Amino acid sequence: MTSNGWRPTAAHVRAVVGGALLAIAAVLARRPDLLVFASPFGIVATWATVAKPSVAPTVRQTIGHAVVREGEATTWHVAVDDSEGRVDHVAVALRVPPWVEQQPENGQVATSLRDDGDERLAVVIRPIRWGRRRIGPAVVAASSAWGAFRYESVEFADERLLTALPQSSEFDASAPPVRSAGLVGVNRSPRQGNGTEFASIRPFQPGDRLRRIHWPQSLRTGSLHVTSTWADHDRHVVLVIDALNDVGESGGIDGRASSLDISMRAAGAIAEHYISVGDRVALVAIGARGVQRLPPATGRRHLRRLLEVLATVESSGEFFDDGRMPRGIGNGALVVMLSAMVSPRALQRAVTIADRGLTVLVIDCLPADIIEKDPDDPYLAIAWRIRLLQRESEIRHAREAGIPIVPWMGPGSLDAVLRDLHRHAGVRMARRQ
Amino acid sequence: MLLRCLVLTSAVAAIMCIRFAAHRTVPALDAAIVGLALICAAVPDSHTGLLVVALAGIDWWATVDDRVTPWSLAAAGALAVFHVSMAAASLAPVGAQWTPAMSMRWLRRTAVLGAAICITWAGLAAIGDHRVPGNGLLLAAALLVVAGATLWARTASITQS
Repeated sequence: MTSNGWRPTAAHVRAVVGGALLAIAAVLARRPDLLVFASPFGIVATWATVAKPSVAPTVRQTIGHAVVREGEATTWHVAVDDSEGRVDHVAVALRVPPWVEQQPENGQVATSLRDDGDERLAVVIRPIRWGRRRIGPAVVAASSAWGAFRYESVEFADERLLTALPQSSEFDASAPPVRSAGLVGVNRSPRQGNGTEFASIRPFQPGDRLRRIHWPQSLRTGSLHVTSTWADHDRHVVLVIDALNDVGESGGIDGRASSLDISMRAAGAIAEHYISVGDRVALVAIGARGVQRLPPATGRRHLRRLLEVLATVESSGEFFDDGRMPRGIGNGALVVMLSAMVSPRALQRAVTIADRGLTVLVIDCLPADIIEKDPDDPYLAIAWRIRLLQRESEIRHAREAGIPIVPWMGPGSLDAVLRDLHRHAGVRMARRQ
Repeated sequence: MLLRCLVLTSAVAAIMCIRFAAHRTVPALDAAIVGLALICAAVPDSHTGLLVVALAGIDWWATVDDRVTPWSLAAAGALAVFHVSMAAASLAPVGAQWTPAMSMRWLRRTAVLGAAICITWAGLAAIGDHRVPGNGLLLAAALLVVAGATLWARTASITQS
C-alpha cells in the first residue's frame, strides 16, 4: 500500500509475476522460446514501474449551478491536476438520485489526461422534477501508464445539493385586487383616496388638497371642484399548499403531473405573477414535513426564496397544521389554497381561514386522469369514483360557505373568480360584521 | 465491450497458435484457459489473467518442441494483446466511451510490445537450435537477474514513496 494513494493493479501484478514466471521457466527448463512470451510482460512491468506517479493528483468536483429550474440542465465537472504529468487516463462515474437525468446516461466518462485534458470529464445533469437532490460524489479513478497503478478518489465532501425549482406554469391575472388593506402599493384600491389613477371630478370637500383643484371645472361651474383618484394599495397574497397527499403519478417535467406537481408549478406561477407586479406574497405548506412558512414580502429575492421553499416541500402523509398564518398578513389578504382536496381537512382549513375574515380561493389541483391511475385494478377505480363523489359533496358545502373553488387552467384562469371577489368584497365584509 | 471481446479472442488465439505450433493439444488445458478467459472478460480487474498467462506458458512448454517456430511470435503476440486488453478494460467502467486519443495511445504502446516480441524472437532465431552446455554459474546468474528485476519491480511498486 502506498502512502500517496496509488495502488498497483491486477494488470501490474500480472505483468510482474507473469513475466517473472515465464522468465524463470525459460531459464530452468532451458527453453529460450519462453522468453519471447516473457518479453512483453517484462517490458510492461519495467515501463510501468519507472513511470509510476509518486504524487497524488488533485481532484476537484464542482457543479455548474446549485439552483436550477426543473427541466434545466447543469454540468458536474471533475478537474484533475497532475503536477508530475504521469497520469495517463482518468475515468469518472457519477450516480444520480431519482428524478435526475444525466448525459451520458450511465454517468461514466473517460479521458486521456495528457492528450485530451480534463474538459471531457463532465456529466450533464438535468433534474426532471422539482425538489432538492443530493448529487455526487463521483468516483474518480486515475491510472498511470499501462493501467499499472490506480488512484481512486471518493470524497464525500464533494457531495452537492442541487435545488430544482418548480417550473412555473404560465399564469397571468388582469383582475383587480380583492380588497384594500392599506393605502400604499401599486394596485388600484376599490376605495377612492390619495392615489395616482383618475377616478372622477367632484365638488370640493374640507380636507381636500389644493393641488387637487380642477380649475377648468371650477371656473365653468363657479364652485370649487377637485379631481379624485383611486387609492393605491398593497396586496397580500397567501399561498397555502396542501402537501398532505401527492396524488397521481409524476412523470417529471416531461411527463404526467401529480397533484403536488400541479400545486407547486401553479404556486410558482402565481407567486411570480404577483411579485412581478409588486405585491407581497406569503407561503404556508400544510401537511409537509414540518410546516413550511414564509412571511409576506416582495421582490426578486423573495421570489427566489419562495421557490426554494417550494422545492423543499415533501408530502408527509400526515396532517400537521398548527393553524397559524405567517406573520404580517393583513385582513385584506387573498388566500389562495392549492389542494387536490382528497383529504377533507384541506377544505376544513379553507373554511377556518375564511371564518377569520380573509378572502379564500381554492385551486383544484387533482390530476384529471386520476381514475385511470391503475387500469389493472378495477377496484381502485371504483374506490376513486366513490371518493370523488364524496369530494364533490365537500366542495359543494365549501362553495355554499362562500369559498370559490376553481380548477387550475393556467393564464387567466383566476380572473373571473377574482373579479367576482373584488365586486362582492364589500358586501361580504358587511355581512360578516 | 470491444476490449472484453478482445480478452476472450486473444486467449483463444493463443491456444490456436500453440495448437498449430505443436500439432497436438491438451484439451483439459485449453478448456481451462478458455474458461478462465471468460472470467477475465467478465472481470478484467482480477488476478485470473495471471492464471491464463501461466497456463498458456505451461501449454506451450508441454506441447511445443520447436523452439524457433514463428508460431511463438503469434502466440506471444496474442498473450500480449490479452494482457493489454485486460489492463485497458479495467481502466474505466464498461459504459465509459473511449476517446480517440486513448485508443491511439494504447495502440502505439501495443505496437512497441509487438516490436519487442519480434526482436526477442529474431535473437532466438539467430541462436537457432544451438544448445549451450549446462553451466551452473550461468544458471545462477540468469536466475539472479530475473529475481533481482522482480524484486526491484515489487519494491518500486509497493514501497511507500
